[in-house]
Amino acid sequence: MQRIHTRYPFLSAAREAVEAADVDLASVVREGGAPVERGVERVERALVDGTVAANRSWSARAELLSYPVARVLVSLVDVSGAVEKYARAEATLAYERFTDDFDEETQLKSTDDGTLSLDALLSDFDAGGDVRPTGDGTFAVRVGTYLELAAPLSGTRWRLATRVLADGDVTVSRRELYELLREAVRVRVADGLPLSVPDPIAGALDAEVANLHDTLAPVEQTDGVDRFEPSAFPPCVQTLVARARDGKTSATGRFALLTFLASTGAEFERVATLLDDASADLREQYERLAGDDAQFAPPSCETMQANGDCYNPDELCETINHPLAYYEQRLELVEGE
Amino acid sequence: MNKRTREYLRGRFGDYYRRSGIDGPPAANEREWGHIPFTLGAGTTMVRHQSWIDIAGGGSLSDFLAREQPRHVYFSAGRYRDPGAGRMSEKGWRAADLVFDLDADHLPSVDPDATSYADMLAACKDALCDLLDFLEDDFGFAAHDTEIVFSGGRGYHVHIRTDGVLDLGRDQRDEIVEYVRGPDIEFEDVVRTESVEGIGLKNPTQKRTLPTDGGWSARVHRQLMTLVDEVRDLSEDEALDRLRQFPGVGEGKASAIRRAALDNHDELAAGNIDVHPAVVSLAKQLFERVLETDAAPIDEPVTTDINRLIRLPRSIHGGTGLVVTPIDRDDLADFDPLVDAVPEQFRGHEVAIEVTDPGSGEFGGEAFTIQEGESHVEEALGVFLMARGRAEKVAE
Repeated sequence: MQRIHTRYPFLSAAREAVEAADVDLASVVREGGAPVERGVERVERALVDGTVAANRSWSARAELLSYPVARVLVSLVDVSGAVEKYARAEATLAYERFTDDFDEETQLKSTDDGTLSLDALLSDFDAGGDVRPTGDGTFAVRVGTYLELAAPLSGTRWRLATRVLADGDVTVSRRELYELLREAVRVRVADGLPLSVPDPIAGALDAEVANLHDTLAPVEQTDGVDRFEPSAFPPCVQTLVARARDGKTSATGRFALLTFLASTGAEFERVATLLDDASADLREQYERLAGDDAQFAPPSCETMQANGDCYNPDELCETINHPLAYYEQRLELVEGE
Repeated sequence: MNKRTREYLRGRFGDYYRRSGIDGPPAANEREWGHIPFTLGAGTTMVRHQSWIDIAGGGSLSDFLAREQPRHVYFSAGRYRDPGAGRMSEKGWRAADLVFDLDADHLPSVDPDATSYADMLAACKDALCDLLDFLEDDFGFAAHDTEIVFSGGRGYHVHIRTDGVLDLGRDQRDEIVEYVRGPDIEFEDVVRTESVEGIGLKNPTQKRTLPTDGGWSARVHRQLMTLVDEVRDLSEDEALDRLRQFPGVGEGKASAIRRAALDNHDELAAGNIDVHPAVVSLAKQLFERVLETDAAPIDEPVTTDINRLIRLPRSIHGGTGLVVTPIDRDDLADFDPLVDAVPEQFRGHEVAIEVTDPGSGEFGGEAFTIQEGESHVEEALGVFLMARGRAEKVAE
């Protein structure tokens, strides 16, 4: 079991490692313990926080096996958009990891077995021979491969008609190549989901699935909010807005803010005005989080507190457990006036 | 078309196929086959969902065609696990050739009611050359991977079967269509904009560049540089006159563009259009123009349909009596469909026809005029007129 497999469990090599270890998913699930706990964490954090990063350290075995367990759990948990959110969260973590790895790779050429090389990732997606560096910091991607990788990405800049295409090669920047690979990971993670789970496996996970439902309940209950009324935002979000305007949000704060704003159904233009930032970066991030029918849920109060993103709680805060619940109640008050 | 004409054409098509030696496309056994027989009445019913075994199982493709004597013959761009299955969903799609279709009916420069058949075909060949420009220069398909075919009717087909294209789905083929047809994009979408934080600049400024190494931006850039070089060679008065031909370019802008052409040639050659705002607006006009001149008006659904049935090369088009003719890239410039697609078997002897729709036209490299009533013409022309419904066969 190599460290690279635990960091990138969706790779073909990782799947082969699981197969080679001759581990039977049914018995992993029946035995419970760390692989199942970590699998629950993967799904829960994916749906609540938009990431599958671990909050504590797990054994290599738990990490590796938690991925197939998480795929089963996300198939069992009946929450709308769960598969899409989960796949996106796995892809986001993979993206963070491989961008680090590739930078490290260019600096150190380290042979640490946990580090993924760009070549290895490309070959895992059968694109090894189809992407080559041009020598000026950009990459030439064979047009057929480009069309496949860019297919899930919306936005004018991904349309072939706007690209530099010559001799069958599409020119992409390094960052764009990474984005294409992130989408490729997302598509691979989502592939085959939801699984049809055999009864013995589903039965062994009853308790975990029920717990996930409880955790996600406050998030689900707030589906009805679809107005944009910044004055009714909870204090934490108001603070995050102010910090964003000053360019001072943390990663978790930014996620909380954007998912909250996305929950109001606001168009990007309103968000851009509110945050005084109309950059393409923000647009892309916002639209990715807002999704079409796979919107990321904003974190609960508990998560906000844990991440240090809960600011100036007021009296209403004491009666609710989710920022969207606060917003809903304030909107009702405003309407009542 | 009366019974005698139908039976005559059917028999002559059969004679053609007996000596044709047609062997079909690559992976013929993974494709669906279809044909339209010479049947009674106006209704045309296609016999489809046939497998290679249905077609060639009794001998060869030419044997089948000689026996069935079909009016039209098709095979699928798609390749399947079970091509003979009766429903698309049961066929098990595996791959599809990338196919382009140019049809004179869809060309912006052609009015199907007013343009002669010969002129339509010529316009279509121009559009084909525009398409090949994209396929060869932009998409990098080699000439030997690009099968060019005269459709036998009003246009041309291009078949591509390289590894990189066979797997592409509808949406991805749609991207290719958009690229080739002259995309619905804005000038700003092809311009690369970078923020430049120059020393001493209070506010970062934007630098706009036209990428010169490919895509629609390079096409615009080529036009721009042609104009720049032209302006450099002209006298001042001539240059200003030339530039003022562009809408919205007056004395001041023309002068600024000329100055940029003289002083900033290297920057312009590198794609830096932000040397002057007037150059940016000129480039924008050239972009709109290039979209119109360079676009290849292909028939979109043919390319995006991964199950499309396409006419079989070297079969006869039942609506013209012309051969669906593969064309070597090197021979394309000289190819004349009304000469080179005429079946050799139908030449050199005459046939009696009853003309029902008189008029003039071109065929076999010559102009012809036919009067209403009985007439003796070369068989190839007779077949052409009968297939097009302008004449009937006279009993010999």
